[in-house]
Amino acid sequence: MLKLQTKLSLFNLLSKLIFTALFLVFMPYIMERINLRQVDEDLIQKREQFISLISDIGIEPFMTTDSSFGSFNIIKEEFISLEMTDMEEDYNFIEETIRDIDNEEIEYRVLNYTFEIDGQKYLLEVGKSLESIERTERNINRVLIPFLLFIIIITFLTDTQYTRYILFPLEKIKKKLKRIPDPSHFDSKPVQTSTSDFRRLDDALCEVMENLNQMFQKEKDITVNISHELMTPISVLRSKLENLMMKDDTGPEISSKIEDSLRTLHRLQSLVSSLLLIARIESNQYLKEDSFKIKDIVDEIIAELAPVAEDASIDLSGNMKSDCHVSKANRSLLFSMFYNIVNNALKNTPAHGKVIISCAREQKRFIVSVSDTGTGLTEEQKQNLFSRFKARDKNSGEGTGIGLAIAKTIADFHNIGIKVESEIEKGTTFSFTFSENS
Amino acid sequence: MNVLIVEDEKSLAREIAEFLKSEKFLCDIANTGNEASEKIAINLYDFVLLDLGLPDYNGLDLLREAKKINSEASFIIITARGAVEDKVKGLDLGADDYLAKPFALIELLSRINAVARRKFNITSPDIVLGDFTMQVQSRRLICKGKEVELTRKEYDLLSYLVLNSGKVLNRQQLYEHIWGNILDDQYDSNFIDVHIKNLRKKLNLHAPTPWLETVRGVGYRVNTTQEE
Repeated sequence: MLKLQTKLSLFNLLSKLIFTALFLVFMPYIMERINLRQVDEDLIQKREQFISLISDIGIEPFMTTDSSFGSFNIIKEEFISLEMTDMEEDYNFIEETIRDIDNEEIEYRVLNYTFEIDGQKYLLEVGKSLESIERTERNINRVLIPFLLFIIIITFLTDTQYTRYILFPLEKIKKKLKRIPDPSHFDSKPVQTSTSDFRRLDDALCEVMENLNQMFQKEKDITVNISHELMTPISVLRSKLENLMMKDDTGPEISSKIEDSLRTLHRLQSLVSSLLLIARIESNQYLKEDSFKIKDIVDEIIAELAPVAEDASIDLSGNMKSDCHVSKANRSLLFSMFYNIVNNALKNTPAHGKVIISCAREQKRFIVSVSDTGTGLTEEQKQNLFSRFKARDKNSGEGTGIGLAIAKTIADFHNIGIKVESEIEKGTTFSFTFSENS
Repeated sequence: MNVLIVEDEKSLAREIAEFLKSEKFLCDIANTGNEASEKIAINLYDFVLLDLGLPDYNGLDLLREAKKINSEASFIIITARGAVEDKVKGLDLGADDYLAKPFALIELLSRINAVARRKFNITSPDIVLGDFTMQVQSRRLICKGKEVELTRKEYDLLSYLVLNSGKVLNRQQLYEHIWGNILDDQYDSNFIDVHIKNLRKKLNLHAPTPWLETVRGVGYRVNTTQEE
């Protein structure tokens, strides 16, 4: 696959080369024709001049010494000769002949012309050397070929620059499309262009994205609205059950059943608020204005979960080689994200295992990773890990199985890359890459 | 104390009223914004529980109006929209606290009590729990003249149970009170159990704790009446 610009440039170069080659092949022939014609016209003009000279001053001055007259210019480029002749036929033609002048053979183009004065026939020859023409041709060729090459290179370069300039909006549109994870991130600012095709393309794209965006937004709004609507009945149920629970006359059996119902209700509540949280993050309802150290968050999470880890005989520790300062982020969301991941790691690690949170700087970015020595994930589990509801593990207890989906949403919201590496029975590592612009 | 419950969901309003009445509050219910507006103009309330999502009235407008008419009353905002802006706007307009639906009735009560204590400048008396004394003002737990070292979360857990002594609190109520609602996937019944276990361990080093009861299948309760 070639880029449009490369294709155009290649075509451009090829067509130039072909035309130049054709030109170089046919040029000598054409030049020769043009030159001969020029020479012939010259010869005819000279003849006319000479004839009119004779008619002015008479033929006698040319026929003083001999029965012929000849005149050469010094470099033997041209000559005129006039002689009496007895030929019967009239001549008026041009031919190429070789003349031997001062022991030098020179190729001439010669006009032969006969005329009569006072009953005497004369033959006039007007010649012009072809040497000079050939030399001129050679000279022209010597200049022309480098010149043509030079022109080809120059025009190729300018054409390439110009196509690049003209195709620049297309590049921009391409870039616009490449960067976006979803339509809400599409840059709807029109691309600057004076080419109507690109204008139309860009406008059409913007419109499609706008429509998509609206559809996405609608979906998110629906999620938010449904969640709100669900909260009220959950609230009513919860209050009713809590009131029932506080009645003095409920026996232990009924109390236990009510508590069970409350637990189920809470699962429902958790689920709804998780969906609400995801929808809110996805529709950018959270601010990213906090500056803080990831180390502080990790320390907090370790302090928070230490009792749970201890209870399950898991060694939970942090290995922070750097403070990992972040700015323009939402602290409580990032706290939730790491909390979910660490909590998940604790759940999937058997007794006497280890969970380590570490942070390392790597040039302009830093990586926070959460590793456990747990049961690990199968390839299939790994693939469905961040999809809502699919990751639900049989032994993950009472969670809604949406914690990792929340973590992923929060990571996307902050442009944090997530990578999961896992080996069955060895453990799992979640890596979070914070780049400069996240 | 007089409480006005402004809530368009009638069934929920009734439950809140029933609960608060059992806690010796006098309750009045308004199911619409207009009704609330009238009631606030006529009666004097100590507390107004205000649902922001009323069908006929912008909740925040109602809050602004009510604050003008009855500046003595304390306002607690209730809303199903847990959005942060609502919370900030409500508190800016002079609301005393904010609760997102669904909430535990116990939590509502503890918020009302906290607002009341702030408002009337009530210094909470020390609470005696067997051999332990909880110094509420200084957030310390003393046993036989020695301070018991507790983490902040452990102290919060204990004090919430103590403030609601006599009532069984389930794990969800305890979790929500202490860790808030922000971690939405963290319903680990185990979590609270671990903390209670640690708390008991620490306390038992100093003295037995028969007053901290586990109610099987339900939750935990501090029982100050069954002492000794």
